[in-house]
Amino acid sequence: MTRLADKKILITGGSRGIGRACVAKMAAEGGTVAFVYQSNQQAADELAAQLTAAGHDVRALQADVRDSARVHELVNQLVDQWGRLDVLVNSAGIVRDGLLGAMTPEQWADVIETNLGGTYNFCHAVVQQMMYQRAGSIVNLSSTAAEFASRGQANYAASKGAIDGLTRALAKELAPRKIRVNAVAPGMIETDMSAAVRGLAADQITKAIPLKRIGQPEEIANVVAFLASEEASYLTGQVIRVDGGISLGGY
Amino acid sequence: MPTKDEIFEKIQVALVDALGVDEDEVTPEATLVGDLGAESIDFLDIVFRLEKSFSISIPRGELFPEDILTNAQYIKDGKLTEAGLAEVRKRMPFADLTEFSKNPAVQDFGNLLTVADMCRFVETKLQNAA
Repeated sequence: MTRLADKKILITGGSRGIGRACVAKMAAEGGTVAFVYQSNQQAADELAAQLTAAGHDVRALQADVRDSARVHELVNQLVDQWGRLDVLVNSAGIVRDGLLGAMTPEQWADVIETNLGGTYNFCHAVVQQMMYQRAGSIVNLSSTAAEFASRGQANYAASKGAIDGLTRALAKELAPRKIRVNAVAPGMIETDMSAAVRGLAADQITKAIPLKRIGQPEEIANVVAFLASEEASYLTGQVIRVDGGISLGGY
Repeated sequence: MPTKDEIFEKIQVALVDALGVDEDEVTPEATLVGDLGAESIDFLDIVFRLEKSFSISIPRGELFPEDILTNAQYIKDGKLTEAGLAEVRKRMPFADLTEFSKNPAVQDFGNLLTVADMCRFVETKLQNAA
């Protein structure tokens, strides 16, 4: 399928985990992709080289998503080169787990500034171009942790809950300009980020998931690609849970 | 420095694009909200377009001081206080506030700004930049 043919796509947090799967999926769907990484240049370069060798148009760009000036510079340069920007995927995110009573101000701030602040910075930077072109799709990465409690993740849950609110508010603001804004809330996915939690309680988690398995990053990327595409043309302001059914609750 | 006519023409294009109105509706006397139907997102769009077409930088809130109009400090019984009016005058020296000042109801503010005000605003910006 090439449902993202000719689309110019920017993805944050692209060198690892779900962001990396989004880069691969959206390039395979025909999109021209620039992805942002913070520190892992080797992984980023390898991914870009691998996808370029496969005939896709993919490039890696370094930025700290917390740095508003750098984010605006990066987006402006891309818009200059591409002449447009069709899709933004905010996937950069971190965890710094700890019980709130023992959580340092740094643990709190790192997570809020990266997950929520980074999402704000990129949305703010792309809005002008998307309004100008009267088209665009923004997909934010939320988490089931926004709605369903897990110990030791007050900072992460707060950042993701805020992203849900941002998604809905921005969707309403930008709908008159034909820009759609949605979020995907993954459940337990096999990434480096969730490795610690999975290591602690793998069996328990798997049992609680109606589909009886941990999800793969590609299964999130499939939904992100759908939301970014014209197939989702009537869909905005939604947070789509992709979690193997764990949020269904009940028995 | 573009002439007054050139400024008006560019503003006309920006408003036609941002608001989806017809060119002949964009007269100097037309008010942005009342006559041309602008909403808050439109002001942002207009600012983006003016920045691009005139290569100027417009601080957010300068063309339409939404932050003052929603600040409880400056509003009493739905009207701007003297302090609020002073803030608006400072922010928008290009706008004629004489009529509005007589009964400064916040909800009427949008009807104040005309296309001619916007031309004066851009002219001032260009002069300051030159």
